[in-house]
Amino acid sequence: MSFELQGVGLVYPSRTGSVQALHGVSLRIRRGERVAILGASGAGKSTLLRILNATLRPSAGSVRIDGRDASGLRGGDLRRLRRGIGTVFQNPSLVSPLTALQNALCGRIASWSLARSVRVLVAPPDDEVSVALSALATVGLADRAAARIDELSGGQQQRVALARVLVQDPPVVLADEPFASLDPGLTGQLADLLLRVCEGRTLVALLHDVGLALERFPRIVGLRAGQVLFDLPAGEVTAVRLKELYGGVG
Amino acid sequence: MKRLALGGAVGAAFILCWVGAGVEPSSLLDPANLRAVAAFVRGLFPPDLSPEFLRVAAGATVRTLAISIAGTALSAILGLCLGILATASLWRRGPLLDGRAAGPLALLSLAARGVARFLRSVPDLVWALLFVVAFGLGPLPGTLALAVSYAGVLGRVYADLFEAVPEAPVVALHAAGASPLQTFVAAIWPQAAGSVAAYTLYSFECCVRSAAVLGFVGAGGIGAEITVSMRLFEYGQLTTLLGALVVLVLCVDAFSRAWRGRFRRNAVHGSGVLQDPLELRPMRRGFGFFWAVVAVVAFADAGFGSLLAPDVLAHVARFASQLFPPDLSPSFLASILTPLWQTVAISVVGSVLGVLLGAALAVPATASIMFDPEARLRPLRALAYAVARATLALLRSIPELVWVLLCILAVGLGPFAGVLALGLHTAGVLGKLYAETLEEVPIGGPEELRAIGAHALQRLIWAAWPQARETLASYTLLRWENNLRVSTVVGLAGGGGLGLALYNAVQLGFYDRASTLVVVMFLLVSVTDALADRLRRKPAAQRAPESGMALVAEAG
Repeated sequence: MSFELQGVGLVYPSRTGSVQALHGVSLRIRRGERVAILGASGAGKSTLLRILNATLRPSAGSVRIDGRDASGLRGGDLRRLRRGIGTVFQNPSLVSPLTALQNALCGRIASWSLARSVRVLVAPPDDEVSVALSALATVGLADRAAARIDELSGGQQQRVALARVLVQDPPVVLADEPFASLDPGLTGQLADLLLRVCEGRTLVALLHDVGLALERFPRIVGLRAGQVLFDLPAGEVTAVRLKELYGGVG
Repeated sequence: MKRLALGGAVGAAFILCWVGAGVEPSSLLDPANLRAVAAFVRGLFPPDLSPEFLRVAAGATVRTLAISIAGTALSAILGLCLGILATASLWRRGPLLDGRAAGPLALLSLAARGVARFLRSVPDLVWALLFVVAFGLGPLPGTLALAVSYAGVLGRVYADLFEAVPEAPVVALHAAGASPLQTFVAAIWPQAAGSVAAYTLYSFECCVRSAAVLGFVGAGGIGAEITVSMRLFEYGQLTTLLGALVVLVLCVDAFSRAWRGRFRRNAVHGSGVLQDPLELRPMRRGFGFFWAVVAVVAFADAGFGSLLAPDVLAHVARFASQLFPPDLSPSFLASILTPLWQTVAISVVGSVLGVLLGAALAVPATASIMFDPEARLRPLRALAYAVARATLALLRSIPELVWVLLCILAVGLGPFAGVLALGLHTAGVLGKLYAETLEEVPIGGPEELRAIGAHALQRLIWAAWPQARETLASYTLLRWENNLRVSTVVGLAGGGGLGLALYNAVQLGFYDRASTLVVVMFLLVSVTDALADRLRRKPAAQRAPESGMALVAEAG
């Protein structure tokens, strides 16, 4: 799956006028690429991510996903598109009264009918369960499948979120600061896991850990005040560039 | 100066209400009325315990329970549909809309919200009266009335609960391509199910209390037997029936308390208003079968068999068509004004009476005040506590409408009987809620005051009151809203106001007038709800939904 953003702008209406969250963003992300997006908070990273997974429509410019104009899609078409895009959120976005297994199963929800989604939650069929179990095994939680989410640690919860993405099996994974709420010690471990899970998939990650980004992502996009400040191979990102990205205001 | 003007306005309004409600304290002392009350009290004993009548009473009690179980089941199903549709975060706003403007589904959702509001704003007794005309006498119209009116209550509560669940999982499933209903199934329902069960249980308690009086308009159950015994002056039977009613209510309370014990910890001020979402534990196997049998028996006893009779639906359709168009002629509308004013006046004066009486009883009913290990006269204090608690229990376990019948004996037909009835029942409910709130006040403040030597009443005024004030005010306001709803129907038992006008219209077959009156009741209740909502401060994020609190206040 590939993304092509052309002059994308986004304006949030607000009570005191309006906020320009993105302005003239043009990006092309090819299939199988690994891109880290850096930027101070408020730079528009999350907005960009929500435009990539088509949960937000740009107010200017065009977004083409796999060559199709995403802003024209609605209803079922939009849901089918999203089925191919996995998202890992900053805070584990799991349903806490359910088990790890049930949460992992939810990755495939978009390919079920409503009746089947009820059935899978009440009495999951064996084929679905085996997919979810192998995903949990991949993230190292095979023995915690029956545990409820609130019995798991933060790191384990983020692993379940990764298992859910594995079950969804999308060609693209978007990650919104996936390690922000974890201990520094866990970050490296989970970053490796994320990269392993995303093997053979396009990966776009919003990161605030610059070291991690430069170390493991070949391409870095710097976002400042809603605009692309630089879009460089990791090797060419200099300290001056970074200072420009995080330092000066406006 | 501003305060003085406000106080004057409130005082003037209260005097107007006092006049409008036809309050005549002297009628309480009228010798003829006193003789009637004395005869009534003498007649209450001995209770009629003959085997034939015990069978009648037992049958009526079981039927009342059946009506409330079937009514709760139907209202939960209907309420769930309304609740899902009315949930704003699924259809009207928030991340699931992808920043698009709301479409036709949002309109449908608003419509569901409106339907729920209408269903719960028209009192259940009015629904019962209409359904009795439509379906004929018997338990079926009572069940349907409960189903319809509590579907409105639960629809709102459910929608509030669904909207309050943590958003992150919902957004995540949406981003993975789930449809709104799928996100409901997989992310919203599992998070809200426990609270849904808890509030449905409260609603069941309310249904049992309501079911007991639906018989007053011919909808079967224990209320029907009470009316018959009153008409025949068989006060001994009345004692038996009221005893059976109190036992039923207490049993249901105990049952639901046992169930609720699990989530009491989660409640605000011991009131049962839930602070956090609850989890729902899976039912044990076998229980499902048990509940299925209970449901079938309940539905059968609640008269659903009679739906199978021929012509029923044709009759219902004919009646429904006669409700339209509503009678909007100026002369009829003008004639509504007096009962409308009477209704508002009954609710205001009755609530004030209830607040005063309830507060007076709440102080001796507060364990943390009465059981002070350092106080003198401890046995006397314990006795006062027991008497206060028992009085409160008696006052609230007899429904308003039964109180109306009893008060008519004391002061004759008319709005004053309604005022007294409302006041007595409200005192029971509010007294208990006040006492429980005071008991739950964090005792840090009072403990420190104790250390400097303040006695119990001083601690109450200086420490407990400032902390509990808001909860107390909130319950009082909710109760007044409830009382306004009740005061529209006290007339159905002879207590004046809009209910009397509605009863007359239905009895005389002026169904177009009846539908006008129903609309007027709806408008009255929704306007006051809106006013009360404005009076209340916006609840903090961590609070239980206001609609849930209303349900708890109603369950008493």
